[in-house]
Amino acid sequence: MDAIDTVKTSYVRELLMKGEREDSRQLLEFRPIKIETGIIKNAEGSAMVDLGATRVLAGVKTDLNEPMEDTPNQGNMVVSAELLPLASASYETGPPSPEAIEFARVVDRGIRAGNCVNLESLFVEEGKAWTVYVDLYVLNFNGNLFDAGGLAAMSALLDTGVPKYEDSKVIREERPNKLKVDNIVTPTTFAKVADKIILDPTGNEEKAASARMTIALDKESVRSMQKGLGGGFYKNEVEELIDVAFNKHEELKGIMKKAQK
Amino acid sequence: MASSLNKPELIVNGKRTDGRDFDEIRPLKIVASPLKNADGSAYIEWGNNKILAAVYGPREATPRHLSDPSKAIIKCRYTMAPFSSLSEHNRTGPNRRSIEISKVIKEVFENVVMLTDFPGSQIDIFIEVLQGDGGTRAAGITAASVALASAGIHMRDLPYAVSVGRIGEHLAMDFNMIEDNYSDSDIPMAIAPRNNEILLLQMDGDMSREQMSKAMEMVIKAGEQVSTAQKDALREAYANKAGAKQ
Amino acid sequence: MRTIVTPGDVIAQSPTRVRNAYVQNGRTYSKVLGIYDDSAQEVIALEGTWDPRIEDSVIGIISEVKPKVYIVDLSFFGRALLIAGKYDKVEFQEGQIINALIKDIEGKSTIILTDARLLEGGTIVSIKPKKIPRVIGKKSTMIRQIADATGSRIIVGMNGLIWIQGGNVALAEEVLLKIEREAHMSGLTETIKAFLDSKK
Repeated sequence: MDAIDTVKTSYVRELLMKGEREDSRQLLEFRPIKIETGIIKNAEGSAMVDLGATRVLAGVKTDLNEPMEDTPNQGNMVVSAELLPLASASYETGPPSPEAIEFARVVDRGIRAGNCVNLESLFVEEGKAWTVYVDLYVLNFNGNLFDAGGLAAMSALLDTGVPKYEDSKVIREERPNKLKVDNIVTPTTFAKVADKIILDPTGNEEKAASARMTIALDKESVRSMQKGLGGGFYKNEVEELIDVAFNKHEELKGIMKKAQK
Repeated sequence: MASSLNKPELIVNGKRTDGRDFDEIRPLKIVASPLKNADGSAYIEWGNNKILAAVYGPREATPRHLSDPSKAIIKCRYTMAPFSSLSEHNRTGPNRRSIEISKVIKEVFENVVMLTDFPGSQIDIFIEVLQGDGGTRAAGITAASVALASAGIHMRDLPYAVSVGRIGEHLAMDFNMIEDNYSDSDIPMAIAPRNNEILLLQMDGDMSREQMSKAMEMVIKAGEQVSTAQKDALREAYANKAGAKQ
Repeated sequence: MRTIVTPGDVIAQSPTRVRNAYVQNGRTYSKVLGIYDDSAQEVIALEGTWDPRIEDSVIGIISEVKPKVYIVDLSFFGRALLIAGKYDKVEFQEGQIINALIKDIEGKSTIILTDARLLEGGTIVSIKPKKIPRVIGKKSTMIRQIADATGSRIIVGMNGLIWIQGGNVALAEEVLLKIEREAHMSGLTETIKAFLDSKK
């Protein structure tokens, strides 16, 4: 963290001690969310999310592969992420950092545990099933990749059309059927700064945070959780966070549905 | 180049697969400064290509001991997103092709950027192909120039790039992916328009001296449109400046 | 007349001495994206890093304390040094914010600072250096307007770092970022006045 970051971080902490945030938001308020789907036509599905200034592009490709040995009658989903160096002065070129890997795995976890993608529907014939690759491309960073990425991945999957398979050939240009998505899971990320808990932290707030919690859930159940950074949460705090995440679910689901073409 | 099995007809009734004339380039549009964090950026849509270019710098060189006290160092990274092609999913990360492309693009900008104005610093150029359909390095260079200008980097010129190639006896501008795969020769070129100096030229295939000569001529002629698109993007970003003519 | 120019655009058909332009083969060309004012004979760069000048007042953060010298972070690609004097009233510590003047520039990238004073509390906003003149305004009118409307103490560094303390910091930050976005637009003074009035 460079010298200027240190100044901004102490300032953010000072503000939160007074219960204020640098962009004047409420403690449990999301920044404006914008979602656009279908922008990369070469991809079978795509969605770009703007969460405040954080911008994540998710692209979905479906390839025909051999099913995994232990699940011979279904397809697969793989989620990867890149923190592109163009997204922030602090991102470096090179192989995925632990940050990028955690990001991809947390986004994957919520969607997988929610059984969102119907993996059986991906089965084509003996020895052939679709693998759904979701790639998260961070284009501009200002905190809370988990929610921007989670929304982008879910939206891109909802946007996905599966290529036609005829006479043992994949015809990529034709996508007669949408990917079977059985459930919609929404992510909600919190950070603890100076003993206050805030929703949707900005880049500076994340730097000032001692702990972070991402909760992905659907209408009925909590599907995945990830506590991040070195600090801790108490039981009653976690219970509150789960309540808030359930509270935000319909709103987030609504935003994603509206963005579908 | 792809095998000649299943080779599609690239020319039908004197026109190309997408209806273009031989000297016609695909429609292109550039937007300057779409990204907030980068010091400079540009987004280009050229045919079905969708490419983002961004610049950070001049900034402190890392690692410090590799900096040059007399001038800036330029680093360039060209990559294609895993979802960028109409065919299969690609692995992320650099491959030999993208590493070579990054190198030849870096050399274009090392030529035009006034490196001695920023001694000891580093200028990073990132080119991300979000969707590719032939001619991505040319579109990437064209966007990177705009990104560098939008970052206020000192340059002696604003280079553009476009490719030309041969299909049978015809020379044609700006191949799309299919033409790229089945053509007889494909030649991306980058030009510094002030003196029409060629800063990038790659070619493989089979061309006579006369054909190469004609090809270079065609690039310079069609290049005017590309250069205009770059300047339009920069001017549009600063529209409404008090009293400035555009 | 003012025109928008891009790198490589011809400014003059003869060799002339114009800031942000270069001469080759008897002609003068722009080397930046900028506004060329032919009556003032200058190319005003629209974007770019800070061009340090002697006597510039800057905002920086002490990033390293060494014997006899402080390394100061000015958010600049070069190095900035503050020499520790024997008779200095104050000793600075890492992480502290200072306001200082440029005493000297070596090469194009080593800055020697002097006359540093400590700024306590507050926060720093980073604004593109080329927009700083607009933030200050003619005869400091713009910055005074902002300080009045927010009740904040604001010190503007020519290097693009601005220190804000007290008052309505969030509003001050918002206005500064707005000026940064719209610096090139005409009628900016009125726009900002209206914006600040609407926030009363």
